[in-house]
Amino acid sequence: MKEFNKNADENKRLNPRMISGLKDFACTLPALVFLGIFTYYPIMELFRISFTNWNLLNDTYEYVGFKNWIWLFNGSGTKHLLNSLKVTFLYSLGELSITIIGGMIFALIFNRMTKGFSTMRAIVFVPKYVAMSSAAVIYLWILNTDSGILNYILSLFGVGPVDWLGDRDTALLSVLLLTGWRAVGYGMMVYLSAMLGISQDYYEAAALDGANKVQIFFKITLPMLSPTTLFLFVTTFISSMKVFQSVDILTKGGPYRSTEVFVYKIYQYAMVDFRMDRASVIAIFFFILLLIVTALTMKISSGNVTYDS
Amino acid sequence: MKKRYLTGIVMLTAAMLGACSGQKTTTETSKVDTTEVNTESEKASTETPGGVIEIEFWHALENQYEATLNKVVDEFNKTHTDISVKPVYVGAYAALNEAIVASNAAGTGLPGVAMANIPYVAGYGSSNLCEDLGPYIERDGFEIDDFGEGLVKAAKYGDTQVALPFLVSTEVVFYNKDMASELGVEIPEKWDDMPAFLEKASVPGERYGMAIPGWNTWYYEPFFINNGVKMVTDENTTDFASEKGIQVVNTMKDWCDAGYTYLAVGEDAASEMRQKFLNGETLSVIYTSSLYNTMVETCPFEVGMTWLPSGDTKIQELGGNVLFIPAKNSQEVKDASWEFLSYLMGKDVNMIWASESGYLPTRKSVQDTEEGKEFLESKPAFQVIFDNLDLIDPGIQRSDWSQITAILKNYVEEIIEEDLDVEDSLKEMEAEINEILSDS
Repeated sequence: MKEFNKNADENKRLNPRMISGLKDFACTLPALVFLGIFTYYPIMELFRISFTNWNLLNDTYEYVGFKNWIWLFNGSGTKHLLNSLKVTFLYSLGELSITIIGGMIFALIFNRMTKGFSTMRAIVFVPKYVAMSSAAVIYLWILNTDSGILNYILSLFGVGPVDWLGDRDTALLSVLLLTGWRAVGYGMMVYLSAMLGISQDYYEAAALDGANKVQIFFKITLPMLSPTTLFLFVTTFISSMKVFQSVDILTKGGPYRSTEVFVYKIYQYAMVDFRMDRASVIAIFFFILLLIVTALTMKISSGNVTYDS
Repeated sequence: MKKRYLTGIVMLTAAMLGACSGQKTTTETSKVDTTEVNTESEKASTETPGGVIEIEFWHALENQYEATLNKVVDEFNKTHTDISVKPVYVGAYAALNEAIVASNAAGTGLPGVAMANIPYVAGYGSSNLCEDLGPYIERDGFEIDDFGEGLVKAAKYGDTQVALPFLVSTEVVFYNKDMASELGVEIPEKWDDMPAFLEKASVPGERYGMAIPGWNTWYYEPFFINNGVKMVTDENTTDFASEKGIQVVNTMKDWCDAGYTYLAVGEDAASEMRQKFLNGETLSVIYTSSLYNTMVETCPFEVGMTWLPSGDTKIQELGGNVLFIPAKNSQEVKDASWEFLSYLMGKDVNMIWASESGYLPTRKSVQDTEEGKEFLESKPAFQVIFDNLDLIDPGIQRSDWSQITAILKNYVEEIIEEDLDVEDSLKEMEAEINEILSDS
């Protein structure tokens, strides 16, 4: 009897916690359902479709085992996969350089809290809010070989005309020009806010020790900005790997596949060739690649980041 | 209060689950049906309270055809009080294809009648995207036999009439007649006579003898066909890397390298090529007969139109479009759509298009009669097409053909523009195409 009462007491004590836990879970349920349906279910479907021969044109499909995976790693798909890998990484490298190096340079230049500098900061930052489709259409005109303003300016210096979007050596650079124009302001703003967070004590101490501006930058500013750099690196890297719109409008993956980034290739297989099966295997490969690269980036950089304690 | 809060969460969750559970996919059998809910699509075509059925007509006709299209559609709307047609320009053929396939897969937003570039017919037919028009043709006694045999074949998948030929054209050479007589040259009838013509007609660096569109392989496929290359063999492989295929691409490359011809590629390839022709920077261009009126109206010189230089044969391919009715629409919408479709296929509407554009009259009753003679009197340049109508082939009708031509286009462009080794590149291309062919 005593034992029974003890258990009943324990249950009474546990019940409010359980109820509270259930309540918490119930609160997350709408979000979980949303995530499940719109994120995890499609990912699972992607895996399933990769084992079929589904062509979007057809209402029916059959399971074909590892045929699509063999095509990707040991068929004509390998060539396209390697090309897309190369192009996407080159593009990411470009966007990372522009966002991090360009952003930091602009942040150092505009790190003055006056009205004039505030206006200049706004000018650099505003392109971030111009819709990519609108910006790309304007860039189509700017980069046009015969009537573009860029070639006109270059012709004043006796250069050109350059076929910016039609030449395999300049096409990716042209896409990066548009991306950089939009991204550099974002990098600048993130760095600027991080710079404001660095304690002035460090700079005062360095000045007392007779450090010059270059030493202060490399010994104080840069290390103190390393968490911000890591943040920018990871977020920019992931977003740059997913580039699509600018490529679709400016080059459509050409010329000669020189701008055929991953997402564009997936789109081509899915919506131009209607090969959902092939699009799925590339999408899964891309998904896993992103996971690995992000995890590696976080691991490698975690040892080299300085946090202001 | 807490109870209400929790009830709210449960309802929200239930609503989300309900909203997302509209479709079911069977996975038990090896063959899977992705549209078990074979809905009568939530259409772009609807019935209004007044009993008028509104249907959309998705097309790819650009600005220059807008007036003619509106005139034809307005006439239909005026004479049919129970059907209202709204023409919708979806984009070029590729964009239109993308939109129709996506709508069909989703089962929503399908138009009543849609246009398709001829090469897409096989794909649509094999996937049952199009309504079988046979029963409608039989029911209404529609004069299908009045259309040329090749045209009817181009709109068929197997034995099923999945579409009807609407605005058709073929490849032609447009040339600057004034310049040609000044130089004393004529567009050669034979491929073998091309080098002599090009040498005389071109001034390397200043003027090309002939421009070849490189943005669509349809324009230069006759070069392969008429020189004995089987683009798809009976064994379901391709012959592009055969000796003959290599010779064709080598010749094209040599002409381009010598500055005799130029392959028009890139984002603005078509308009740049047209501009070069207008400016006298090229004596001739390979193009589509559908642009005859535009060329004549815009060029400041007399424009001639002739057949492409031929090889062992002088076959050309049918271009242009067909019209079809998406099969997933409700029967009511399909009946209204057929009404509109058969109106568009009528002789009168066809003659309006033929006279106001460069598209060909599709009906034999027009081609062989007084009306045909009148048409030729107003457009004598079309005599060459009328004389060779039997040589216009529907082209290869395979659901994977657009994938194959995309590969061909990229390789030919790269070989010529980037100076690649012709044989090696064609062998690589052949392997890639054969893989697709064997997969189908």
